[in-house]
Amino acid sequence: MASPRDRLPVTVLTGYLGSGKTTLLNRILTHEHGMKVAVIVNEFGDVGIDNQLVIEADEEIFEMNNGCICCTVRGDLIRIIGNLMKRRDRFDHLVIETTGLADPAPVIQTFFVDEDLRDQLKLDAVVTLVDLKHVEQHWDSVEVQEQLAFADVLLLNKIDLVDVEACLAIQQRTRAINPLARVIPTCQADAAMDQILGVEAFSLERALAIDPEFLTSDHDHEHDGAIGAVAFIEDRPMSYKKLGQWIDGLVTERGPDLFRMKGIIQFAGETNRYVLQSVHMLVDSAMDRPWRDGETPSTQFVIIGRDLDEAALRAGFEACVA
Amino acid sequence: MAPPQTLVQERLCGACSNAITAQAWSADGELLAMATAGGELLLIDFRAGCEELLRGERDSSLDVVGFSADDRFLMAAGQDGELLLWELGGSGVRPIAFDPLPLGGHWLDAAAWQPQGSLLAVGAGKQVRLWDGASRTLRVESQELEGTVLALAWSRDGRRLAAACHGTVLLWSPDDPGQPPQRCATASAGLALGWSGQGNLLACGQLDGSLMLWPDGGAGRGWQFRGFPGKARALSWCDQPGRLAPLLAVASADIAVIWSQQDPGAKGWKPEPLVLHQGRVHAVAFAPGSRLLATASSDGTVALWDGRGRLQQLLEGDGQAITSLSWRPDGRHLVAGGEQGQWWLWPVARPPSVRSRPPRSGGFAP
Repeated sequence: MASPRDRLPVTVLTGYLGSGKTTLLNRILTHEHGMKVAVIVNEFGDVGIDNQLVIEADEEIFEMNNGCICCTVRGDLIRIIGNLMKRRDRFDHLVIETTGLADPAPVIQTFFVDEDLRDQLKLDAVVTLVDLKHVEQHWDSVEVQEQLAFADVLLLNKIDLVDVEACLAIQQRTRAINPLARVIPTCQADAAMDQILGVEAFSLERALAIDPEFLTSDHDHEHDGAIGAVAFIEDRPMSYKKLGQWIDGLVTERGPDLFRMKGIIQFAGETNRYVLQSVHMLVDSAMDRPWRDGETPSTQFVIIGRDLDEAALRAGFEACVA
Repeated sequence: MAPPQTLVQERLCGACSNAITAQAWSADGELLAMATAGGELLLIDFRAGCEELLRGERDSSLDVVGFSADDRFLMAAGQDGELLLWELGGSGVRPIAFDPLPLGGHWLDAAAWQPQGSLLAVGAGKQVRLWDGASRTLRVESQELEGTVLALAWSRDGRRLAAACHGTVLLWSPDDPGQPPQRCATASAGLALGWSGQGNLLACGQLDGSLMLWPDGGAGRGWQFRGFPGKARALSWCDQPGRLAPLLAVASADIAVIWSQQDPGAKGWKPEPLVLHQGRVHAVAFAPGSRLLATASSDGTVALWDGRGRLQQLLEGDGQAITSLSWRPDGRHLVAGGEQGQWWLWPVARPPSVRSRPPRSGGFAP
């Protein structure tokens, strides 16, 4: 198994139809970042096809039947990336474009579940493009909501086509769904490359970056079935046993509705912090570095999902205090 | 049957510029072809003592290579989505390339020549296409599956063709189009397919770490064996008959498992795990004409085992992961390919314990 340093970073690019994915892909392919980037697209379309590192893949969803009802993966990616990795020396980064109507979860889960991909690659970030001008029209679509919920980086694109108020309003609405993502307003998807590639958002060691505003403001869910986020901060140490049981129960019961969870946890009697992330029912966690001098040990926990009952979740979480 | 003469007295090695993805011997054992992830296709002609790069390095890989049963054609395919074919004139004669046949832009990595026949089956996306060596044309009709074709295998008599995709293994007889295809449902995606000679069993190694076995040419109810430590990524049937069925080797994670059928029915199959390799086992292959099994691993070694799972010999490369294996049809030479492009050819003596038993001619000793 390759060490994390040697594993090939993978960026997942999502966004509704017309949000600017192709523009961003062409930027990535032509930008002089000194990296050789291989791109897997759904159809060649307007992506530079003379570039030999652009590969077409037809989305093919496999159910894994591994006891996890929501565990689906992209079978086409397992096969194509398996073949591609034999030419590992020819590129430094992989970008996967999903269709405008795709749920990002199967792509992400592929890299958690498949033994070969897990060993050789590492998810870098989910980058979601939002079309500021038209997103309102599709706001309630499941696809848009899921793409927002799974994002590590949110590019609010076409900022030149809307006024400042409209941009801020959408930014606030995206925050209610996903307080973890880094928001970057762009025009023609012109974000700096280092904000898109090499983000290491799936690195467990990376600190949680919850938008502080999210923690202090109230969030009303728009309607039943709506996707949103809840965040908890707790200064008292948590019980390892209780929290573990609570999370196990939560993913078993609510897995399909829980898109992503991230947490940094202070356990009673532990000098090191504990870090956790999950995608649906797949939970990845590890003991991390010691709390640093000057750092106040505390627990931060964020859940992004559908139909979240904030009061019930908060009660469940608080019952895990040691 | 290949001439029994020895090609090499000791290990021979060479190198391509990219990871070796596939290797194949001609039926007469005189030609060896190797494909690489850099699109190279190397043909070694042992009788003439020369080698030729039929296709040079490029930006797209080749992932499958094979000789037709009658050694008249060589096939290769890969990332470009084109089927490449050469006509062969035997040792010392330069192969003549056909025009590449585009098959719809799919990455081609599953293809198999018909044993005792002239057909070549190729998985192209969700379709299985057939190229016919008799007419030298691609058949217009194709067999459609529900998902991308991940593996293909012909029955030993060349009559039945099996193709695996997610959720299904489809069986049909390409030479008998009136017969409708038979659908075997699976709970996962098939990665490796193989038919036994004796008993006409079809084995399918799956993504979910299970093995499916269908007796009687797929007509019987399938058995599922679970508990592999990872994907069941490669398999090989022994061509020597067993009491009820031949031995079956399956590669999964760092081990290979030899399955033998002790009693009739699903519960009669017994696994013998071969624990030795320090890295993923990529390929398993029984030597033609014996129960000697070769396993190739990321740890840079090829292990040779007898049919009871006892280690006979450990062959070493130069440290790079070994990802492909192919026995010469004489069962006395084994070629392996590495992920950095190195290849090794070893002469292999059959140890006495695995030599095939002489056929019994009667009840009494002479």
